[in-house]
Amino acid sequence: MNFFHNIKSAMLRELRLMRQRPVYLLATIGVMAFCTVFFLTFLRDGMPEDLPVGVVDLDNSSLSRNITRQIDATQLGRTLKFESYRSAREALQTGEINAFCVFPDGMYEDVISGRQPTVTLYVNSLYFVGGALAYKDLLTMMNMASGGVQRELLRAKGMNDYAIMGQIQPIVIDAHQIGNVTTDYGVYLTNVLLPGILEMIVILVTVFALGSELKYGTSRHMLEKAGGSMSAAMIGKLIPYTVLFTVIGIICDMILYCWAGFPMAGSIWNMFIGTFVMVLSCQAVAFFIIGTLPILRLALSISALYSVLGFSLAGFTFPVEALPPYIQGLAAAFPLRHYYLMYVQEAIFGSGFGGWYPQIVYMLLFLFLPPIVYGRLKKAYRLQNFPRN
Amino acid sequence: MKYIRQWFSDWYDIFTRELKHIFSDSGVMVIFFLAGLAYPLLYGLIYRNGSIDDMPVAVVDNSGSAASREFVRALDATREVSVAYACADMDQAQRLLQQRDAKGIVMIPSDYEDCLASGRQAHISTYADMSSFLYYKNLTMAASQVMLSEMHDIQTSRFSAAGHSGQQISQLVQPLKYEENIPYNRNFSYSIFFLSAVLLIVVQQTMFYGVSMLTGTMREENRSFAVLPDRLKGHGISRTVMGRGAAYWLLYIAIGAYVAALVPRIFGLPQNCPFGEIFILLLFYVTACVVFSFTFSSLIRHRETVFVLFLFMSPICLFLTGFSWPASSFPGFWKAFSYIFPSTFAVQAFINMNTAGASLSMAAPQIAALTIQIIVYYFLSCLAVFAENRLLRHRSPASVIQ
Repeated sequence: MNFFHNIKSAMLRELRLMRQRPVYLLATIGVMAFCTVFFLTFLRDGMPEDLPVGVVDLDNSSLSRNITRQIDATQLGRTLKFESYRSAREALQTGEINAFCVFPDGMYEDVISGRQPTVTLYVNSLYFVGGALAYKDLLTMMNMASGGVQRELLRAKGMNDYAIMGQIQPIVIDAHQIGNVTTDYGVYLTNVLLPGILEMIVILVTVFALGSELKYGTSRHMLEKAGGSMSAAMIGKLIPYTVLFTVIGIICDMILYCWAGFPMAGSIWNMFIGTFVMVLSCQAVAFFIIGTLPILRLALSISALYSVLGFSLAGFTFPVEALPPYIQGLAAAFPLRHYYLMYVQEAIFGSGFGGWYPQIVYMLLFLFLPPIVYGRLKKAYRLQNFPRN
Repeated sequence: MKYIRQWFSDWYDIFTRELKHIFSDSGVMVIFFLAGLAYPLLYGLIYRNGSIDDMPVAVVDNSGSAASREFVRALDATREVSVAYACADMDQAQRLLQQRDAKGIVMIPSDYEDCLASGRQAHISTYADMSSFLYYKNLTMAASQVMLSEMHDIQTSRFSAAGHSGQQISQLVQPLKYEENIPYNRNFSYSIFFLSAVLLIVVQQTMFYGVSMLTGTMREENRSFAVLPDRLKGHGISRTVMGRGAAYWLLYIAIGAYVAALVPRIFGLPQNCPFGEIFILLLFYVTACVVFSFTFSSLIRHRETVFVLFLFMSPICLFLTGFSWPASSFPGFWKAFSYIFPSTFAVQAFINMNTAGASLSMAAPQIAALTIQIIVYYFLSCLAVFAENRLLRHRSPASVIQ
């Protein structure tokens, strides 16, 4: 009974601290709200539209103008005219356009007389998304233009249109995108970036809350409030944050899957479980960091380095299996990696508990970290024997 | 003359004092040197392999014909994918996809060869795992490459059966040829793309966090970042800002040169611009970062809060450079917001110059934008020093004189 009373008084003390220092609420609710608004509005188009594509038309025939019009007509592309190869190349180099094509002089005549002219395509793949999409758009247009010329030739030979389609495009590819039907970049990135921001917040704020007691020398007061029990003090201190982070995470899940309508093959309730377990494992990591390095500023610097790396090593942009072998193992040390794998099973494949339970187990394994440094942190709290600044 | 000598002597005092602060603070040292020097290396290691080659896919060949086998063989031969699993039905393939053994499925329908033989269109279905867009890109690129080359073969053999000669066939099949040039990043390598952008972000972010930590420390210790030479009684703002600035500037020119010139060399990234021009870009960028950090760090009251409050800006600054989601598709508000950060312009200029080989003169718009930022943020940081001094003097006249 006494133990629960101690927890309660530690909790009340923590809630008072959270009210007194605005940094706690700003760093949690404020940051998460800003990031949610940012990613949902920044990537709201899902697919870029009207990417600038350059055209150097040295031919100026009905054919070259027709192809230009066709590129303009696609949702993806918007053409910009350039007088010379040189000016187009400079625009490509400065990222003003993502790609351009050069129609050679006399192209139309060469097509008519069967001399097979060559159109040259240039793509700047340094701006990845724009480059890849503009490239795809130009390739499609070139193949369509080639098919269009063929169609005219075959029509002249008296073939009917149905047979012509079988001839100019004998194979058609029906592409299906599992889990993201519209190839929406917003869905793809936001689904993992926002939990990544949450991971960052949990680790930083937990380290900050635990470390502040050392820095401001209030740790003895904290232990006193909890009746001298370290475990009561820690449980009481961390529970308000666990609740706060979980609520933020669940609201975020609801915004993504209910309000913004992101695809969800499984159940949102399972995502809630995943979010909660990720919060727990991130708190465990934070406890481990401050316990190992009971100096607030060093612990925060290390936490910052660690949580930023989580984004790269989660493997949602560049897959982990393509990383060098000695880095692949490192990826497992980030709760976000396991959360991402769980999200893939639940939201993309809808495979349920059987598909993702190993990830939950891995995340729970992080809870073994705090006991390792528990004694060390307890001593630091009692003796306050580490430099404060 | 005397004024100038005095100016320099004050400036030098402030400059050396700031350097001492930097080097006696372990938290700042971690950020400047561990993060500034090790992070670029770490990112280089992580993204060492720029592309996914031979991504495993599952094939469901319901046709089982010579034509479909030919398609599968050609698919396997592409750089992007390898046919790792031949499945009897879609259920089996879907299971492989869900267990993440295969990253995509290619399904060839049972009427594939019949369609080709009778001149109808044959449909091949691809199913991509959208958990990473690189899987999707690999599958799509490989499938469409194979489709195009198969199409040419089919068309060629049909025309040939109809009695056309070689030259005629080529004219019919490909009346218009095209040639692709992907000059700066031929294989769509992720490492070239990502590192080119992230390197300079590290410079701005580590500097901002370090400067803010020191500002916060001074505030906590009841000193101010805005201490002016005592005898000037509130004058001499410029030597304070420039003296402190010079300390960070000097450190970061060195860190910047390492990040922008040495790291790309270590990892064999393209370096298509002479070092001299990159260095000139760095001069502008580092200067802009110093005054940018001074301006915004004046809002920081405690030394540790900067991470807790502003670490999330690092990924956001990265997106605001337009390296991934194209800048031409930014919503207007975020476009304007991106102008706040020096990284927006410097990263664009760095990608264009270092990787795409643009000359310094082609980066003129970005250099101009950085110059404007330098001027604006310089005045804002002077204003911050001025305001801080006014506040301090109002609070306790003694503390300024001490």
